[in-house]
Order: sequence, then C-alpha cells, then structure tokens
Amino acid sequence: MQKKVIAFTNLLRKSGIRVSVAEGIDAFNALDELSLDDREIFRDALRTAMVKRGDDIAAYDELFELFWSGFYDNLRQAFDQMEGDLGAMGVDLDQILRQLAEMMKEMDGELDLSELAKALLTQDLSQLENLIRQAAQEAGTGRIENMLQVGFFSRRTAEQMGLEGASQELENLVERMRAMGMGDAQIQQLQELMRKLMETVRRTVRTFTERELQQQNHNYMEKFRREMLTEKSFYHLTEDEIARMREVVARLAQRIKNILSIRKKRLKRGKLDLHQTLRRNMARGGIPFEVVYKTRRKDRPKLVILCDVSSSVANVSRFMLQFMYSLQEAFTKIRCYVFVAELGEVTSVFQEKDISAAIEKALDGGDVINVYTRSNFGYAFHEFWKNHLASIDKKTTVMILGDARNNYNDAKAWCIRDIQNKAKNVVWLNPESPSAWGFGDSVMDRYMPYCDIVEECRNLRQLSKVVDQIIL
Amino acid sequence: MRVNEREEAMFKSVQDVIEQLGDQGYICDKKIATVVFLAQQLGKPVLVEGPAGVGKTELAKVVAKALGRNMIRLQCYEGLDEAKALYEWEYSKQLLYTQILKDKVAETLAGTQTLAEAADRVGAQDSVFFSSRFIVPRPLMQAITSEKPTLLLVDEVDKSDPEFEAFLLEVLSDFQVTIPEIGTIVAKSMPLVFLTSNDAREMSDALKRRCLHLWIDYPSEELEVRILDRKVPNIDKRLAEEVVGLMNRIRALDLKKTPSISETLDWARALLALNAEELEDQIVSDTLNVILKYEGDVEKAQNELAKLIKKRTAEVAAEKPQGAPAAEASAVKKGILH
Repeated sequence: MQKKVIAFTNLLRKSGIRVSVAEGIDAFNALDELSLDDREIFRDALRTAMVKRGDDIAAYDELFELFWSGFYDNLRQAFDQMEGDLGAMGVDLDQILRQLAEMMKEMDGELDLSELAKALLTQDLSQLENLIRQAAQEAGTGRIENMLQVGFFSRRTAEQMGLEGASQELENLVERMRAMGMGDAQIQQLQELMRKLMETVRRTVRTFTERELQQQNHNYMEKFRREMLTEKSFYHLTEDEIARMREVVARLAQRIKNILSIRKKRLKRGKLDLHQTLRRNMARGGIPFEVVYKTRRKDRPKLVILCDVSSSVANVSRFMLQFMYSLQEAFTKIRCYVFVAELGEVTSVFQEKDISAAIEKALDGGDVINVYTRSNFGYAFHEFWKNHLASIDKKTTVMILGDARNNYNDAKAWCIRDIQNKAKNVVWLNPESPSAWGFGDSVMDRYMPYCDIVEECRNLRQLSKVVDQIIL
Repeated sequence: MRVNEREEAMFKSVQDVIEQLGDQGYICDKKIATVVFLAQQLGKPVLVEGPAGVGKTELAKVVAKALGRNMIRLQCYEGLDEAKALYEWEYSKQLLYTQILKDKVAETLAGTQTLAEAADRVGAQDSVFFSSRFIVPRPLMQAITSEKPTLLLVDEVDKSDPEFEAFLLEVLSDFQVTIPEIGTIVAKSMPLVFLTSNDAREMSDALKRRCLHLWIDYPSEELEVRILDRKVPNIDKRLAEEVVGLMNRIRALDLKKTPSISETLDWARALLALNAEELEDQIVSDTLNVILKYEGDVEKAQNELAKLIKKRTAEVAAEKPQGAPAAEASAVKKGILH
C-alpha cells in the first residue's frame, strides 16, 4: 500500500502537479485516520493533502482513475469473459477446476508448478495481478512512449512472467491427466481451457501495457500543456490550443498584477504626513505615538495600443488584445485602436463587453473600420496623428503591434517620430523575426529609429518579457 | 497528532461529520466531510477555495456550531497588517494610566539623585506598562490565547497582500506569537483553522503546502435540491427541482458572474414570496435579476430562455400534431420550462 501511494505521488509529480515531500507525509497521516474501504473518501483524502490547485483537480481525478481503478477490475473482466466464452462452448469452468484441484491433490508432491501456473489454476487474480506488475516492472514498461511499443513491452512482460513455461506446464499437466485415465471429452475441454487461459493472460498483459502507456501519455500531454504553449508561435495554434492558451495568458496577467501590487506597497513610505499624524494622535493628546507617512504613489502607466488586425497577424493580435484586456485594471487608462488601413478606437468595446466578445469584436474592426483592405501603416499612423495625438502625454506608453508590411505604401515614419516626442515611450511588437525586417514590403527599418523598444513577439514568453519591460 | 486530549466535541468519522453538519442545516457531500474530518484529526488548517457563494464561509460557521466552538473571524482585505490581525498596544490606555498613576510614579522616583537613576527606576517597572493589560488582542491573538478551543476563520485570504500571507504562515505553522516586550505566547488549545479564498489571486505554494485543500464547486443537481429543500422549507418539491434545473442551465452559459447556491436560495425565496407555484416564463424573466447581477448576463440568459422556450414549444407541437390548440396555448404559457 505504502509503495503504491508513493508510486502514485511520483506519477502526480511527473504529470506536473507539484507535490512536496511534506504533502506526501500528510497524505499518509490522513490515510491513518480513515478507514480505507470507501474509495471516494480515499480519493478525497489523498487529494486534499496533495493537490492544492483548482486547475489540477481535473488532472488528478483522471490520474486517480487510471492508477487506482485497479487493473484488478480489468483482470476480473477478462476472466469473467473467459468463463462466459467457455460456458458457451459447454465447458463448466468451476467444475473442471474443482476436478483438476482434486486430481492435483492426489498427486501431491510430485507436481511442481510455477507461481503463475498455480495462480491460473486457482484463479487467484490478485496473485496474478502482482505477477504481472512485477514482470512489467522488470520489463521496464514504465518507459513506454508510444503506441508502437505496446507489442514489444507486452511480449517482454510475458517473457519476464515466464508465460511460455507456464503454458508448457499446463500442457504437461493435461498430458498427465490423460495418462491417469481421463476421458477424451474431458481432456478436450481441459485443452480448451488451457488455451483460453493463455489467451486471456496475454490479453490482460497487453491491457496492462496500454494502461501504462496512457499514464505516460498523460504525463506527456500535461508537460506539453504547461511548457510548450509558452514557446509555441501564435501563428501555429490549433483551435484547441487557442482555448488553452487563454488560460495561460490569464494566469500571466494575474502574475503581473500581483507584481504591480507589491511594487505599489514598497513605494508607500514617503515623507512625514503632519496633518494625518496629528489627526490620528488626537486621542493621545496630540502626542505623536503613531507616525503617519505620506504615501508616494507610483503612477500606473497609461497605455495606448495600436493593433494591426489584418488577417496576417490576427492570431497574434488576439493574444495581445486578450492580455491587455486582462491587464486593464493595472493601468489607469488604456486606449485601444485597431487598424488595417483605416484606424478606429475600440476602447469602449473593451470596457463594455466581456473578454471573448470584446476581442472578437475588436478583431472584426469593432464596427469602426473596414478590415477587408490591404494593410497601410502609413495611412493609419497619419490618421492617428491627425485625430488622436492629443490623447498622448508624457506618461503614456504607446504600443504598436504589427508586422510593418506596408504593401509599398508611404510609410509616413514622421508620424511615429511625433508620437515618440510626446509619449513616454513607443514600443513596437513585431511578430516577424528580425531577419525579415526591412525586406520586401516590410518598412520596419523606417520606423525603428523612432521606437524605444522594438521586439520580436511571436509567442507567450516573448510577450510576457515585453510586458515586464513596459510596466516594471 | 491528536488535537486535544481534553474533553470536547469531536467528529468521530466522516459519516459523523455529514450527520452533524446536516443537523446544523448544512448539507454536504463526502468530499467536504472527509476534509473537515481530516482537519480535525491532523490539526491542519484547511484552505477552502471555490466560486463565490457556494458556502465556504458557511462551512466554517456550521463546523464551529457543530463542535460547540467559538468562531473567531478575521476578514482579510488589502492593506490588512499585523497590528489589525494579531495585537496592538493600547496607547491611549497606557497614557491614561500614566496620568492617573502620576503620584505613584513620583513616589517611585522619590529619592533618586540623578536622571539616570530615575530612568533606571522607571525601567524596572517596564513590565507594568508593557503587560497583557494594555494589549488589544486581534482575531489571531484571540484564537491563540483563548482558553477554550476555538475555530479561526480567515475569510477571503486572497484579498490580503502577499506579505500578510507570509506572516500568517508563521502563525499557522506553530500557533505561537512573539511579543517582544512580553515574550512568546503559545496556544493553550489548538484552534481549528479555515481559510477561504475566491481565487482572486493564487495563494503561495508555502501556504498551500501547510494546508489541507478543499475545493467546493457548484453542487450536483440532486444535492442542490436537497439544500434548497432544507433552507427554504416551504418550497414545493417540484418547484425546487425546476429551479435547480434551470439554474444549472444558466450556469452553463458564459457569464460574467455565474450564480451560485446563495443565488439559488434567494431566487427560491423570491419565487415563494411571489406565490409562484411553477416556473412560468413571465415570472422567470421578471425575477432573473435576483440571480444575475450584470445587465449583460441577464440579456444572455433571456436569449437562452427564449431559445429553450422555442425548442420546448416545438416539441410540444410535435407531440400533438393535431392537438387542441387551447391545450397547446396553455402549455406555451406556463409549464414550458421544466
């Protein structure tokens, strides 16, 4: 039992659920306090001690089922099925086994059967389970990685179990029965039984191997979920990944909010606040027992986002917008514009709609611009310069997202220069890799001199790095 | 690792937890009961997480009631600090005492030659002014110094700052407090600790490691009907089932604020107050704002309801292709939602 719990703990760890040693010990303590015959209670007890994040619960439940829904049940099933099959052929398993047992008792001593053969003949399934588990461990089934290896590991497990030997023993046994004068019909039944037994064992070994693969696979999927997603380019996300990516982005945003809150705290101590100090200490006759300091507030940054929503960068824009949406409260003021050629403000959409609706709407031009045209950065920046330059002051960070593929239009880089002059800084995020900047119709090199930060931003890790730079 | 040897109410088993909490009007499943039982047995704090309104705080309250323990509540908020959570010196009282005891102080100081000597004399009396007499115990301190075992509820711990969380850890790990002027105060009896969190931010791993974790989710339909039955005794069984059924449908929508058990209860009470016997469309759309707190959410739910009604109407129509129009009309009018 103890070993099995530890093995389960390891499985959880491998699947990316962090379980500390102390938590493992808690789990054991918890089990001491409970009776273990209730499966639900057992599951909940382990969970409460080891799994501490809401997100992990689903994964835990799945793993628990995989690990604890005993392989024993599978065995039981397989053998029940075998019994049924034999019954259909007119073989009464119970009777035959009883007969066998009796005859074996008669020749007590001369018979030296292996563990496996004994377990099979007595239908001792828990012993059989142990044998399979042991053999699988020796065969290294835990290292299984893909479907193609199922056959290989099943064979190795069977070898380790000495399945061939057992089969031989059983055949010998039948022969001896014949020699002892068992009737032909019965011998045939017996042979049928032995054949079926072997087949069932082979099948269950295979089932075991497949289960092992499932567990390993689960580990792999989890790892992928946690690690790969941050590195994966926004361009190549599948529908499913987009959904999961949302979670990850939300978590990232939360982390940044946390950091901001701590930072606000650290900056709190300022000069002595005489007014507040007097007021607070009035109860003590104006003797300043308690000293109050002025809080120095670090301004939360203002942010203006210009987001290219042309189809070539739509996926990147999606996460960018989601990220900004989640961070709205971290900024005092956030204004969001979208453009392809025309430029329009979608700030109100951000404030009114819930997250997914807002992003879809923004990507669709938010009813203010036509998205079915060819990108023209110069035109868009000029529009911004004409109409919205006033919204920028020295506390504002201007963030531009786009690939700067301008379809050979006029770049109007001077608009960016004017924006930079007014703003705190200008950040350009380009989903293309730097080697492509300035080639073909890319005019990134024209804008670059007027940007404070220019970063490649194609996956979540890069995005979070940039955001760290901006607000921290 | 028994919590306490002294005689006091204890849960005997997981089943016992379910029954005793049930007596207090709190219906819970095995999941919750297991954790509560373990918390008592292992003497570990419980971190209760889950969406708002599923009865996290309530759980702590009924456990306190069931065990006959005094509940001490520490409500967390941004900016909560040690002084407000643990203890504070009562300056004004100290000041008042010095004023009143002025003569006595003068007496003590009588005969001193130098300033240093006087200061030493006063210093020798330090303990008078820095004694537990002048301490205002705040919830954490109360829980620790209480003679009888208590239940400490640290509510909405996610609202507190990360620094406070670190401080809380220290108290929770060994249940003792050090006051520099007085010394270390060790808990006389181990309080049972519940921390609740709405997941506004993720709690630190260190805190989670020290706690048992309980995730309370929206209850299953069957459980919710039982809760409803228990909390709103006058409700008709059928109505309760309808309410819960519709509630689950609404929860499946993508809402800004998903309604939880407390909203279900409110709604049921509202329906009772309106003498509704079943969920008629009109009543439902009139009372939706009891369960949904945002205009956008109400709109979404309305749309969903409209769709549902349409579907049901179509079904009814399909069932009786040539049925009497009157019957059909009445079916459309009410009864459509269950």
